[in-house]
Amino acid sequence: MVIQNMLPKKMLQIVLLLLVSNTIFSQKIVRYDLYVKDTIVNFTGKEKRAIAVNGQIPMPTLIFTEGDTAEIHVHNQLKESTSLHWHGLFLSNKEDGVPNLTQMPIEPNTTHVYKFPIIQNGTHWYHSHSGLQEQIGMYGNFVMLKKQHDPTFRKGIDDLPTVPILLSEWTDYNPENVHRMLHNATDWFAIKKNATQSYAEAIKAGHFKTKLKNEWKRMLAMDVSDVYYDKILMNGNPNSEIGNIDGKQLKAGDKVRLRISNGGASSYFWLTYAGGKITVVANDGNDVEPVEVDRLIIAVSETYDIIVTIPAENTAYEFLATTEDRTNSASYYIGNGIKQLKSPQPRLKYFEGMKMMNDMMKMNGDLDDMGMAMSLNQMDMNVVMYPEITGDAKPKQDNKDPNRYNANALADIVTLNYAMLKSPIKTELPKNATVKELRFELTGNMNRYVWSLDNKVISETDKILIKKGENVRIVIYNGSMMRHPMHLHGHDFRLLNGHGEFAPLKNVVDIMPMETDTLEFNANVEGDWFFHCHILYHMMSGMGRVFTYENQAPNPLIPNPKLAQRKLFADDRKPHFMADKDFATNGNDGMAMLQNTRWSIGAEWRLGYNDMHGYETETHIGRYVGKMQWLIPFIGFDWRYRKMGIDEQEDNLFGQVNKKDNRTAISLGVMYTLPMLLNFQAEVYHDGIVRLSLMREDIPITKRMRAGFMVNTDKEFMADLRYILNKNMGIRTHYDSDMGFGVGLSLNY
Amino acid sequence: MNVISKISMAIILLFSFSFCDAQIQHTKTESVKIYGNCEMCEKTIETAANIKKVANVDWNKDTKMATLIYDSTKTNQDEILKRIALAGYDSDKFLAPDDVYSKLAGCCQYERVNKTAIAKTVAMEDHSMHKHETPVETKQEVNQLKTIFENYFAVKDALVKSDGKLASTIAKDLLVKTNAVKMDKLSSEEHAVWMKVLSSLKSNTDKISATTNLEKQRNAFMALSANFYDLLKVSKQETTVYYEHCPMYNDGKGANWLSKENTIKNPYYGSQMLTCGKTVETIK
Repeated sequence: MVIQNMLPKKMLQIVLLLLVSNTIFSQKIVRYDLYVKDTIVNFTGKEKRAIAVNGQIPMPTLIFTEGDTAEIHVHNQLKESTSLHWHGLFLSNKEDGVPNLTQMPIEPNTTHVYKFPIIQNGTHWYHSHSGLQEQIGMYGNFVMLKKQHDPTFRKGIDDLPTVPILLSEWTDYNPENVHRMLHNATDWFAIKKNATQSYAEAIKAGHFKTKLKNEWKRMLAMDVSDVYYDKILMNGNPNSEIGNIDGKQLKAGDKVRLRISNGGASSYFWLTYAGGKITVVANDGNDVEPVEVDRLIIAVSETYDIIVTIPAENTAYEFLATTEDRTNSASYYIGNGIKQLKSPQPRLKYFEGMKMMNDMMKMNGDLDDMGMAMSLNQMDMNVVMYPEITGDAKPKQDNKDPNRYNANALADIVTLNYAMLKSPIKTELPKNATVKELRFELTGNMNRYVWSLDNKVISETDKILIKKGENVRIVIYNGSMMRHPMHLHGHDFRLLNGHGEFAPLKNVVDIMPMETDTLEFNANVEGDWFFHCHILYHMMSGMGRVFTYENQAPNPLIPNPKLAQRKLFADDRKPHFMADKDFATNGNDGMAMLQNTRWSIGAEWRLGYNDMHGYETETHIGRYVGKMQWLIPFIGFDWRYRKMGIDEQEDNLFGQVNKKDNRTAISLGVMYTLPMLLNFQAEVYHDGIVRLSLMREDIPITKRMRAGFMVNTDKEFMADLRYILNKNMGIRTHYDSDMGFGVGLSLNY
Repeated sequence: MNVISKISMAIILLFSFSFCDAQIQHTKTESVKIYGNCEMCEKTIETAANIKKVANVDWNKDTKMATLIYDSTKTNQDEILKRIALAGYDSDKFLAPDDVYSKLAGCCQYERVNKTAIAKTVAMEDHSMHKHETPVETKQEVNQLKTIFENYFAVKDALVKSDGKLASTIAKDLLVKTNAVKMDKLSSEEHAVWMKVLSSLKSNTDKISATTNLEKQRNAFMALSANFYDLLKVSKQETTVYYEHCPMYNDGKGANWLSKENTIKNPYYGSQMLTCGKTVETIK
């Protein structure tokens, strides 16, 4: 870690040297060399693979002054391709760093040079746009300072001692595996977070009806974030201290400016400070009128510049970044001396959240805002889960102190929302330009982790054509159950938030469920610009669009646009594999499935240990239909062999004879998810035999106990109970009409 | 049946493994000062610090010294002391958050020798948090309606917190204070409105005090808010008051309330819809 910390300082010195020696020249080239290399890190006691640039995580802080020309040499020493995207920067499209869209990927052992003039100032950041590399270390600060005599220079803000802070998260799991697990609706992360919201927990919390209604409306346990992280990092460390800046010791009364970028792949962070109020002075690299708050939430990929004060001598004050789900945090101690802590954000009241979701969710899967026009994060439905706003989950320890309710509940804390951001300068768009209005609905479904715009993923849509010079206005409604930080490449947009001509400029807008936000920008740089959700796993699932300009010149870095597009689309077309295998005393059960956004190929098998118990397999190829993907028509192929044994049932409920001894059949069928998450399946075989079945898997009984059952018209039935030991293993006991009682080890992938 | 018992045996066996092996390995022992007072402190400190198989802390209330025994491969002194500080107890490395310290029982409010006083006025803001801890007693001569306004706000706050018991208690107090208002001391404008709303105001307050059922209380509070709105229009208060509106309550007909804060904290739904609503009028 020591070596890592040395590097940015050296860089800084070089840059400073360059700054000093070159002020006479108007066009100054600032060069950085970035060596991207595999590395091993140890954040949790286990050694894991990560990617370091110049030997450090995060990547080095790059500092420029407006007017410079940046020249960044990226040396790819990985065994895979990479890319770097300059988040929030105005540059020509071929420098934007999106592989297969604005350039071809930087192949291993090659060097790519990004060169662009710096024509703006503010706090930005940069990250890999290739695969899931951003999760394992490829994020860094990108700071552009104002010119010396910039008219927008703000005394008391732009001349303060400054610390760039990059927020990120670390998981010991391979991100590819995280992505796969999310698509398979794993509840392992919920178990890790202690947020399973099982029936037992619901009953204990007096929320049995809430849980029942939740499952009736076909929802899985709700949460504010998807992934459990082992560590939260600020500049690569869970705990950091800063006692002096630029060689000057910090003392009481000093103000410090923090340039904060959220480089987390999927985490929002609450920012709080032990030394009093936080003054927000810029957002997404653009100045805003200073506004004082007690706390703010920073969406994935947003940046905020804030000012904090050191109130007393001999004390270091904790600046705390807590994940939105409040399971983990990182601390930065500002000042010298004993560490004054900040109270952690209390645990979420999940069942209150579940109740809220029940009220908002209609039976058809649409959300119902009950006539409230929601926008700009002003109304946060999640407050029902925040004990610091709405009181403790349950006043169970009434015997303690009756006053404790008073002090806790409804403290007058100010939380930042977008309506409070106001630009100090006019940001109006050219008045005589034509206006193109686009509307998008953010759509998705948690159960299958499919995220899209207007229920279409990137690979299912064409690029959106816009004309150079026109004003593009985008109205976005979030009809999904998660919040999404939507990011536009290459342009800042105005977020229409009631401040008229002083609407703030941003490049990321966080939209909560049921909110509608309007943003607009002038189309002034040709190219293919990505517009996408910045939650890494949502983006990789295809939640985005590409804007392209009419009649633009071809990009010299994309020699074969067709090939590039196919590779770009491959990201969200990628199938995800899952498998279960149960080794039990009465037989071997299992299934394997390959799924992508719309298609599913799955095989199930039940293999007995003797002919009486029998052997059978079923294979289904199906396509998910509709926004909620509750309906799946499929083609099936069955084979089974059995000598009559325990349960002799050869005719079904419809009086059809269904020989089980040796049967090979093709079928057509549909599967539909009923309320209570019951899977109803109807199948007709080529010989006219009909089979209906009803199944429910993974009923959360307790935190780690799951139950399931199946019945069908062939008079077969099965019931099982599983205790989850870890991510991939459980103990399962089941009763099966063909094979009888069994107990064994169940593995899942 | 046999199978079930076998399974449960296996499970019990599995669990029992984790019980017999609760000792800390790779131990490191340290002695650290932690500020506190009494046996209750000791319990809080040790509960906060101990983690099975990782850390064990024994604090002595007389010497104020704690013996930390922990697995040095799994944790460190800072982590343990931070947990203790977050439970309210200062050490020489960490200061407890002020809100946690202030919530310690009276006997546990030890002297915070490590805390450096804040030189400037920065901390003054914190006091605003404790404003409705004690019932307000104002000089009757100055503004006798102020007292009942404060009471009204307290009822509102109780409803925001969905605390029917508290709302009922405060409403009882409000009734007493309402009866104590000396009408001859009111200005003529105030007097006229007072006479108009008095009976309704009293009956609405009575309804709130008579029950702890939130639904009934909120229904009465809607009418009570109208009474107070009328009063406020003629009786100017020192602080700005906001007239706020919830569009959903009363079967979508909407309902209003008065608040001293411009931020929305909805008394008709409490935590269910806390921030639903908007300010419709600012009364200065």
